Amino acid sequence: MKQTSSLLSVNHLQASVDNKPILKGLNLEVKAGEIHAIMGPNGSGKSTFANVLAGHEDYTVSAGNIHYLGENLLDLSVEERAHKGIFLAFQYPVEIPGVNNMVFLRTALNAMRTAKGEDELSAPAFMKLIRKTLAELEMDDRLLKRAVNVGFSGGEKKRNEILQMALFQPRLAILDETDSGLDIDALRQVAKGVNKLRDPQRSMILVTHYQRLLDSIEPDYVHVMADGRIVRTGDKSLALELEDKGYSWITDEEAA
Amino acid sequence: MSDQQALLAHYRALAQRDQPVLPLQQQAQQYLQQHGFPDKKIEDWHYTALNPLLEHAFTPASAMDETLELDRHTLGDLLLGNEESYQVVVYNGAYQSQLSKTRGLPAAVQIDSLQQALAGQDQTLMAHLGKLSGEGEHLFNALNTAYLQDGVYIRVPAGCKLDKPIEILHVSLSFSGALMAQPRHLVVLEAGAEASLVEHYASLGDSLCFNNMISEVFLAEQAKLHHARLQNESRQTRHLASLYIQQQQASQYHATSIAMGGLWSRIEFHNSLDAPGAEAWHAGLYMAGNAQLNNNHLKVLHRAAGCRSREVYKGILKGQGRAVFDGLVKVDIDAQQTHAHLSNANLLLSRDAEIDTKPILEIEADDVQCSHGTTVGQIDPELLFYLRARGIPEHQARQMICLGFAGDIVETLHWPPLRDYVEGLLQQRLQHITRIG
Ligand SMILES: Nc1ncnc2c1ncn2[C@@H]1O[C@H](COP(=O)(O)OP(=O)(O)OP(=O)(O)O)[C@@H](O)[C@H]1O
Ligand SMILES: [Mg+2]
Repeated sequence: MKQTSSLLSVNHLQASVDNKPILKGLNLEVKAGEIHAIMGPNGSGKSTFANVLAGHEDYTVSAGNIHYLGENLLDLSVEERAHKGIFLAFQYPVEIPGVNNMVFLRTALNAMRTAKGEDELSAPAFMKLIRKTLAELEMDDRLLKRAVNVGFSGGEKKRNEILQMALFQPRLAILDETDSGLDIDALRQVAKGVNKLRDPQRSMILVTHYQRLLDSIEPDYVHVMADGRIVRTGDKSLALELEDKGYSWITDEEAA
Repeated sequence: MSDQQALLAHYRALAQRDQPVLPLQQQAQQYLQQHGFPDKKIEDWHYTALNPLLEHAFTPASAMDETLELDRHTLGDLLLGNEESYQVVVYNGAYQSQLSKTRGLPAAVQIDSLQQALAGQDQTLMAHLGKLSGEGEHLFNALNTAYLQDGVYIRVPAGCKLDKPIEILHVSLSFSGALMAQPRHLVVLEAGAEASLVEHYASLGDSLCFNNMISEVFLAEQAKLHHARLQNESRQTRHLASLYIQQQQASQYHATSIAMGGLWSRIEFHNSLDAPGAEAWHAGLYMAGNAQLNNNHLKVLHRAAGCRSREVYKGILKGQGRAVFDGLVKVDIDAQQTHAHLSNANLLLSRDAEIDTKPILEIEADDVQCSHGTTVGQIDPELLFYLRARGIPEHQARQMICLGFAGDIVETLHWPPLRDYVEGLLQQRLQHITRIG
């Protein structure tokens, strides 16, 4: 049985960038423990939605509201959202020259611990934790010695996002096309990372274009986003149907 | 008499000495009689406002009767190496033998007060002194030479590889007004010699000081010098440094210049690669905040075939900080197969910060690989968002991005105690950067 407590509740959300409306009345209810997949054509607003959840300041929310853990999410700063367990795995993780990945991971983890009133992890304790996390994900430590994402291949960047997710143990993880551009091994690592985190208290939103991720991570719901709204919701069979028929049958219906 | 003329008269009078002087000092005296202050009409000084230097009539410490018995305690943690360096302390331009520690130095290596070496008519010293300075000369150079008194003289004999860095700590402090320190350094590395030189300019409190220094560095065949320089003087200090480096065949010069202190600072590197196969690496990091002007003036001359140089300077500017980067790489007609890459990148943290950057390649040879590039930018909001989305507070995220930007320059500091020290200073200086810098 599903938990009934609501973790995230998005109501009639409208958001724009440079006065251009992108999200046009989006509704979504995510309960603790659920996995929601969001699919939809390019440019339909999936990343915009993910960015709004994480607090990106380029996007202006003009109407609607978002409640997260009973709080008005839009009142929280970007870092407060992270402290309260929101994690966005970026569709395009940025490169941060000169910032060592390991130092970054430790700084971020300790910032979250400090915000929660926990002690910072010492360097050895952190090393232990990261080794364990890497082992669970079957990843090696090559990427830790380099600057954050600098010169990483597309797949390596995505792996680095999953490593962060596994390390930070978020309440709500939003994975924006983390499965795009991955080889089979990396895809397995992503699936592994996600499945390891699956927990009755933890929820996920998976933005994806492909059914194949959903083969290994079974979603509770599949939503289709088009033109800034969720236009169809179903179970995982919807993903199969989309794979088969594309989006036009839905978007055409919408337009009609 | 205008203020400037009065000031000029003051400096001219200073240069007149009662004791007999060397021919190069006579020349400098003449120069002083014939020239005024450098001004914006001179290309090398075009972007460098001189006002802070002309606000006071600075007087050499020795003429001011400024005597403070320094002890190592007063120096606090400004000396960075304990047993890991040979140490020299220079106070208001004067070599402090009682504070210096050169025990264990190989017998043939000389680290000496320039004054003493001059008094002893040291042959190597006499053969080199003033042979490089003079290129692009200005009034303050001439003043240093005319007044020439003390500094550090270093000679590393052929084939000798020094086991530890030579750490020179320069401190300045004035009690009674505008004080001028005019250290004069001479470094000679003979064929195949290797050394590492660390210079640290600091202040003992914030007082009105002007450091007007000259260094001459001679690298013979196959010699190799690491030269790190940290200018972290107090907010009233003026700092004018002219460094001249001459390189012979297959010698290597690795410089890292970190400049973050002072009210006004100008650092000139005049580096000439005179024989085939010489290599020069210049890494630089400058930082300026409110009321600071920082000027980096780099001149690398490729005069022989098959030499390499790389110049990478980065700047971080906050508040109303101003900086000038003036970099010239010149490749003579005979300097075929030259590799030279000059770059300057700047991070502006506020709207009011300002950078004038002017990297120039002048190439007369036709078979060369040269490039130059400049960037001026702000903190990328997407980087900031990424770090904040990972829970890192905004001010700390800004600090991380700035430190990351400076990272590759800091990494060129090959002596770990200095690298750690500089990292600490940068962390402090970059602690409270807000949206408006
Ligand atoms: N910062 C921005 N500035 C201008 N336009 C933007 C910005 N962010 C998003 N958009 C526009 O908003 C629309 C939705 O973009 P979004 O990235 O949310 O789509 P998406 O559904 O994630 O697409 P994809 O499947 O290609 O990743 C697009 O037309 C896009 O160009
Ligand atoms: Mg997207």
